[in-house]
Amino acid sequence: MSEAAEARASGSRWRVAANRRWIIMALLLALTCYAPFQLVPFRVFQFTMVLIYAVALLGLNLLVGHTGQISLGHGAYFAVGAYTAAILLHSWHVPYPATLPAAAVAAFALGLAFGVPAVRLRGLYLALVTLAIAIFLVPLLKRFESVTGGSMGLTLAKPVPPAWTGLAEDQWLYFLTLAVAVVAFLVTRSVLRSRVGRALHAIRDNEAAAEVMGVRLSFYKTLSFAWSAMLAGIAGCLYTWVIGYVSPDSFVVTLSITLLAGLVVGGLGSYWGPLLGGLFVMFVPSISQSVNDAAPGVVFGLLIIAVMYVAPTGLAGLAGRAAYSIKKTLRKE
Amino acid sequence: MSELVVTDLVAGYGDAKVLHGLSLTVGPGEICAILGPNGAGKTTLLRALSGMVRGRGSVRLGGTELTGRSPDAIARRGVAHVPEGRGTFMPLTVEENLRLGAYVRRGRTGVEADLDRIYTYFPALKPRLRQAAGSLSGGEQQMLAIGRALMLRPRLLLLDEPSLGLAPLVTRELFRIVRAINEQERTTVVVVEQNAHLALGIAQQAHVLETGRIVLSGTAERIRADEQVAQSYLGYRV
Amino acid sequence: MAGFLQQVVEGLGAGAIYAGLALALVLIYQFTGIVNFAQGELAMFSTYLAWQLTAAGLPFWLALVVTLVVSFAGGMLIERVIIRPVEGAPELTVVIVTVGLFIFVNAAAGWIWSFTIKDFPNPFPEGAFRAGGVSVGYSTLGILGVVAVVMGLLYLLFQHTKIGLGMRAVASSPQSARLVGIRVGWTLALGWGLAATVGAVSGVLVAPLLFLDPNLMGGVLIYAFAAATLGGFDSPLGAVVGGLVVGVAETLAGAYVGFIGSDLKIGVPLVIILGVLLLRPQGLFGRAVVERV
Repeated sequence: MSEAAEARASGSRWRVAANRRWIIMALLLALTCYAPFQLVPFRVFQFTMVLIYAVALLGLNLLVGHTGQISLGHGAYFAVGAYTAAILLHSWHVPYPATLPAAAVAAFALGLAFGVPAVRLRGLYLALVTLAIAIFLVPLLKRFESVTGGSMGLTLAKPVPPAWTGLAEDQWLYFLTLAVAVVAFLVTRSVLRSRVGRALHAIRDNEAAAEVMGVRLSFYKTLSFAWSAMLAGIAGCLYTWVIGYVSPDSFVVTLSITLLAGLVVGGLGSYWGPLLGGLFVMFVPSISQSVNDAAPGVVFGLLIIAVMYVAPTGLAGLAGRAAYSIKKTLRKE
Repeated sequence: MSELVVTDLVAGYGDAKVLHGLSLTVGPGEICAILGPNGAGKTTLLRALSGMVRGRGSVRLGGTELTGRSPDAIARRGVAHVPEGRGTFMPLTVEENLRLGAYVRRGRTGVEADLDRIYTYFPALKPRLRQAAGSLSGGEQQMLAIGRALMLRPRLLLLDEPSLGLAPLVTRELFRIVRAINEQERTTVVVVEQNAHLALGIAQQAHVLETGRIVLSGTAERIRADEQVAQSYLGYRV
Repeated sequence: MAGFLQQVVEGLGAGAIYAGLALALVLIYQFTGIVNFAQGELAMFSTYLAWQLTAAGLPFWLALVVTLVVSFAGGMLIERVIIRPVEGAPELTVVIVTVGLFIFVNAAAGWIWSFTIKDFPNPFPEGAFRAGGVSVGYSTLGILGVVAVVMGLLYLLFQHTKIGLGMRAVASSPQSARLVGIRVGWTLALGWGLAATVGAVSGVLVAPLLFLDPNLMGGVLIYAFAAATLGGFDSPLGAVVGGLVVGVAETLAGAYVGFIGSDLKIGVPLVIILGVLLLRPQGLFGRAVVERV
């Protein structure tokens, strides 16, 4: 075979693989669109929550999985997004669609504000600071009662599905969330595939080497921090839409730690990790809670440690390895 | 009978092998010099002897097999390794550094006497006992490192480039002391050194290493006398 | 003036507790470079153990001794079993493992003893000692005394025993410590055991002031972090001084800065952590670390 033919053949093989990937994605999307018509409203609600967590984890993954920075306080950005939307809806009567960019901007700004000093902190100290922020946020929310509703929180009307859609409330919320989640995934994916993504990975793998190669550390780290916070804020805004209620007790430090746990189990630095993590965060507690109130914590704690030992790439990594070995066995047949 | 018997030693870091089946023997109370260019595996040889890197093959000290044991277990069997960079406990005082050398010895008997003995070898350390070891000069730190090794009352003393970073006068003094220690304590010494002239001056026998193999062995005089060896393996005239 | 002094005294009492837990954090950090996020939870678990023993009828001080011994063994065990596999792994991995341990221990305590609060016996007598318009509670004095004793014992251990010398050698350079024949693995485990013991003391001291529940140490932990950051993560003395300073700063801020009041006091450790990290990252007593590439 001539070199050109060889190149063409490998090119077409590559194209087949890429096509297959698109087919799988399309099937998956069709399934996610079809599901809400088959499930009871409570299940639809649960899957909406999975998507919300997945968006937040997407942000956390960008920071922890792709840039190698630790955050034990992502619940704070989630809360800021949720409260921004809630306050705009409650006190200013802003229309729903407008709260999403507002929540994104608020969280982005906060991420930027903490990203600037965070750039100077090494991993461990970053973990301390982010944890302290997450803990501090709750009394802060309670303190400014006139705006935030204090401990009582704010109760809001949920978005009403437009008549032309013919959808029920839970289905409408599901599709809104799905649309935002898909856009967030696609944008983040393309960012990670650009030179920005390569810069972030370089920072994660060897900070000093990245700097020597000319990666502007402070710029990219701050950017990653802010972008990551923004995604968490968007997730928070969706949360407000879907739940219709915010209160400080929904955003205690446990939320931040649960998010990190979900991401680790889902798969640090993988594309599917956030979605798997979202499923994990949503369903593991509700299933294990039937055993004992403390069971979710016991399961989370043990799983985190176990994952770090045996499968640092999480469920996504395991699934990838399983798929690879199945493919290999099939090819042998 | 030989004190140290190394047979077919293979060692390295991960998949990268540095020593490819190396054998040598050192008699009791002898000083053995290991010479050779950078990257020949001299430091790795010492590390394999003290257990800092895992090796295959056999290392026997006075008949006891050392391969596969951890560094602390090997130290407890009387091997004192003065590593590259001297291994000083910087924030600890000079005296504490010396006492740590005797850490594995049972009981306090002899430790105080040995401290005094170290001060007679290295009088410069005496006024600095309470000072943090990190504040010593390079030469003093090297003396401290050797002193610390002697506190173990070692059967085998491993010295890795004692001359590194020291002024020539200090280096010469240091080698004189190593010689004196060897003569008085009958300690077996393996010394890795770039400065072949100095090392051959105190050693009874020498081995020249190149890319993980011994390419030449012999008595120190013979190797010193062999001009061609000096030029081809050591890169300069001795 | 008396009112101000009174606040300082209260602050010292609270600070002594932070100092205790900070001391535990520092003990582990200086040997392994690990900040144990589960330290507070381990202390909480030990406190439950003490509560269980007194509830079973053991006299307080005997229960305390048993608790400390069990905590020591437990700390060593955790190092050998849970931390050893990730020793030398990237910082991120180690932090996540200790966070996992945090979640697990917290939930396990909830499972065993339920999440309802329990009364913990106060080992110190009621009442206060008065001097010049300032009253110092016996329990504040007791807490300060206990922390001073713990500090003194640790000082003796590190400065005047062979094991302590070996531990400091490992903290300074594990590689060189191995070469002089120290069993580094066991020394690290010993550090974890000591830390768990000191942490248990802080848990037992704080429990009578708050109520005993699985989230007992969550709030204390963040103050202990601030204390250790302020004092320097590698300095036991710094941890104690840092703890006292944080305690006093928190109390004074709560009493005299109207905006902060009692509900935003938790912001004080955050400000201290951020301020120290930006101005003097090694803390007051710590050694500056030169990053080697």
